[in-house]
Amino acid sequence: MQADLIPAAVSAERPRRIAAPRRWVSRLGGYSIGTLTALLCVFLFVLPVAVVALSSVAEHWSGTILPTGYSMRWFERLGSDDWDAVGTSLEVGFSVALLGTALGLWIALSLEGRDRHGVGAVVDALAMMPNGLPSVVLGLAVLIAYHKKPLDLSGSAAIVMLVQLALVLPFCYRCCAAALRPELQILREAAASLGAAPARVLLRVVLPQMVPALRASVALGFALSLGELGATLTVYPPGFATVPIVVVGEVERGYYLPASALSLVLLAISLLALCLIATRMPARRAKPKN
Amino acid sequence: MSSLPAHKALAAFANAADPAIAHPARAAQKLRRRSAWLANLNLAAIVAVLGPLIIYPLLRLIWLSVSGADGLSMHAYTVFFTNPETRGVVGTTLAILFASAGLASVLGVLIAALLFFKPFPGARLLTRFLELFVAFPSFLVAFTLIFLYGSQGSIGLLLQRIFHLEQPPLNFLFGSGGVILAEVIFYTPFVVRPTMASFALLDMRLLEAARSLGAGLGRVAWRVVLPLAWPGIAAGTILCFLLTLNEFGILLVLGSAHLVTLPVAIYAAATVDLDLPTAAAGAVVMLLMSLTLYAMYRRMSRRGNRYAS
Repeated sequence: MQADLIPAAVSAERPRRIAAPRRWVSRLGGYSIGTLTALLCVFLFVLPVAVVALSSVAEHWSGTILPTGYSMRWFERLGSDDWDAVGTSLEVGFSVALLGTALGLWIALSLEGRDRHGVGAVVDALAMMPNGLPSVVLGLAVLIAYHKKPLDLSGSAAIVMLVQLALVLPFCYRCCAAALRPELQILREAAASLGAAPARVLLRVVLPQMVPALRASVALGFALSLGELGATLTVYPPGFATVPIVVVGEVERGYYLPASALSLVLLAISLLALCLIATRMPARRAKPKN
Repeated sequence: MSSLPAHKALAAFANAADPAIAHPARAAQKLRRRSAWLANLNLAAIVAVLGPLIIYPLLRLIWLSVSGADGLSMHAYTVFFTNPETRGVVGTTLAILFASAGLASVLGVLIAALLFFKPFPGARLLTRFLELFVAFPSFLVAFTLIFLYGSQGSIGLLLQRIFHLEQPPLNFLFGSGGVILAEVIFYTPFVVRPTMASFALLDMRLLEAARSLGAGLGRVAWRVVLPLAWPGIAAGTILCFLLTLNEFGILLVLGSAHLVTLPVAIYAAATVDLDLPTAAAGAVVMLLMSLTLYAMYRRMSRRGNRYAS
């Protein structure tokens, strides 16, 4: 008995004695891994955003680690060309966001409840296709199709809107389609069975339920349109440069600090729009885009 | 239940007036057929809008690339691919694609795993930031890297001061190195998001069961987490490859001088040389590559959705 008990007591004791330092080591390891991840993410992702803000208020920044002196002079020096570009971007962005949302909503409502075969599948694939197209290729295709007769759009902002509309459509469509949940279908059937006409069901039941998704879609379309470069650069007519085109032009000529100031204006506008339009994001936004 | 009074009324009305719709079933069938017809008309209207927006330009692009002075010709393709400046452009594009999207995928899955399984204070804030980062224009990422990693950039100068070097040590930005760095930074968050979403669908009891049965962390990750979360991870990875292939702003800002890739070559042919047929030939080749990847992505994410539901 005695001989049996002692080893048992020892063996019960031993794991605890080993486990204590091991737990301590693993906790320390966990913390250090967490800290390393945080540092890596800040270094890779937060630093670039911070640099735009920092460089736009820098007096000078070349040959030093941090800027020498800070001032608002790059914002004061934004010329009429720059503000014209901001105006063009806003105009194109709002039109594209509203048109894209309207078109996306229409397609989402039409395809809702259809099985993904036949015509429905074709329309779905068509609406989602720009997601898989390189922006330069789509821009070139639109330029080729609409730069001379029978339909010449190459002298107006319409061609920029057309190409950006195609590019934002998949995001707006996806946003609207995600909001047409099964619960909404039950509400619609209830309203219809109580005698509401289809138009009334749409206006009084479906659309009010979809307001958050529509706001998110407008905000997303606007933000995407503001930052779009490849397609716009390929098609834009003289006099209709958007902010990204002006920024890239300045970067290529080496005017880094004015370009930062203009980019910060762009980021501020798009952040403002995101906050104003989409104060409440729909809950299913976390789904990967399809 | 609710349609019962309507049926009664309809039947009464039909009996009185029109023997053709005497049976409510037949009337309902007629109504259904009419609404199906209306739905098809609606779809046709959508196609009529999407056609000029997407299909017609692409058809014109393909047509221009294969039409010569007299009938069909592959002349534009020969010009594009025998131009000494753009020779090997497909190889360069693919090499850049695999280097940057491959690195971004591995890094993205690692960061997602650490954020999800080993959350630290601020992890939630960081996740939120990564979601917003996706709205940051890519050319701005490339631009800010000039301040950080350019030959006179902050990090180069910092390294020079720490190690007391004669020259700032970094001089790689304008070329493939800088392009890969910028694409990895910009596209890693695109992998992190869907990967975390697929981790969130995992049944945590399976992981605990594996751990309690004595499997180590690596074994759990390799044998339990990875097979279960695989559809989401694969969809995120293919999306990352697709977006990286379609990237333009980063290539224009950091690569246009020394590194000729497909998008930049197409853009230069169209707007600098004003040679639309040659640009169209390059664009068709790129279109094929993108649409192949896109078809893979659609298949993969549909499989992922089926798993999730």
